[in-house]
Amino acid sequence: MEEVSGYNIKTEFFEGPLDLLLHLIRKKKMDILDINLSEITSEYLIYLKTKTGINPSREGDFLITASTLIYIKSKSLLPRYNDEEGVISEEKKLVNTLIEYDRIKKISILLRDMENTQITLWKREFITENFENKEFLLEEVSSFQLAEIFFSLLKRKEKEDISYIESKKFTIKKKREELLSLIEEQGYIDFFDYVNTLQDIEDALISFFTILELIRTNKFVALQKELFGNITVWKKKAEEREQ
Amino acid sequence: MEKESRGKRAMKDNRFNDLEEKIRFLEAILFVSKDPVQPERIMDFLECKKISDFEKIIEEFEKELEKKNRGIKLIRTGGGFQLTTKPELHETLKEFFSIKTYSKLTLPSLETLAIIAYRQPVTLSEISDLRGVNSTGPVKNLLQKKLIKISGRKRVPGLPALYSTTKEFLLYFGLNDLSELPSLEELTELFEEKEQPSLFKKI
Repeated sequence: MEEVSGYNIKTEFFEGPLDLLLHLIRKKKMDILDINLSEITSEYLIYLKTKTGINPSREGDFLITASTLIYIKSKSLLPRYNDEEGVISEEKKLVNTLIEYDRIKKISILLRDMENTQITLWKREFITENFENKEFLLEEVSSFQLAEIFFSLLKRKEKEDISYIESKKFTIKKKREELLSLIEEQGYIDFFDYVNTLQDIEDALISFFTILELIRTNKFVALQKELFGNITVWKKKAEEREQ
Repeated sequence: MEKESRGKRAMKDNRFNDLEEKIRFLEAILFVSKDPVQPERIMDFLECKKISDFEKIIEEFEKELEKKNRGIKLIRTGGGFQLTTKPELHETLKEFFSIKTYSKLTLPSLETLAIIAYRQPVTLSEISDLRGVNSTGPVKNLLQKKLIKISGRKRVPGLPALYSTTKEFLLYFGLNDLSELPSLEELTELFEEKEQPSLFKKI
């Protein structure tokens, strides 16, 4: 335990909780397959305490792993019953994730090596694609050229096919009132005829939804004689509604 | 009928008198091509009946580039052939083009790419689980760099996107195909070799 304070962990940067765990295991010269969990857990928690100024979304990931560690540790401290499978599988799960993560780290090192090799082989258009040259050279442009650029921009703008999306003009509530008064007046609604009087598809859709809603709430009855045929809508009579 | 067409082809095919001319033409094609040239695209044109005929042209060309101590070399990448500068010229080229920094992949991006390369197709949440950290950022970055693509949707609730590596991925790392990545067993061996010397030093 005394050795812990001697670590210079603040200067190290870890990609995530698994990275940190692997690092601690290595430092303690443990085998991934045979981790001293209580030791690692306390090391891990000490690290979290000494950490300052980190991004909360990243810290969240560290805390999840901390809680898993504490969970496994506390379970293993409790008297053992026969049904300790829960703990074992949690521990196994953690070990498996660590082994997996260890592999990922190795592959990353390999990929980095390959990247470094490829960077020394320049290909066509390599300079523009892979290199970040921050300096931009400023070029002198005459006012005529500037005007030309401006007008060509305007022309391009004209060509753009701009379509506007209109805000919702129709609400089910308004439509409902409209349909109710219409049905009071006519006694029934011929859906096809009604839709033909409407201006656009949105209006027709809202009308359809409103009719469905009114049927659902037991205010209307609708009848369609055949598939894709016309729909006739009536108002439900009060006595029918009660049934 | 058959004879006639054969005769015609023979006439058309008499484009090159010898190997040297074929190499000349190969060089020209490779010079103007931005992407690796696939062998099947030029084999017929270079009158190669077998892959081995083509390999011979390639070999001769490689030898020539080496012998004459030129600034370019031939590499095999993305299943094809491409001309690149020689690695030893890297520093000089950097100096000439006054390039000080060049963008490399970040460590999170490399880890994410490692997972996708070996586990594809794979979802974002699977990647995040394996890394133990949320990986939305690196995945976006890799998508932008075209090193990965959405290759489908997983048939589970929410239909999450599945990510796979792209052809650009192969080119970026100089691979011909995914099978050139070491298998998991080879990976362990590779790193055991690397780790052992340091062990001995400690003793």
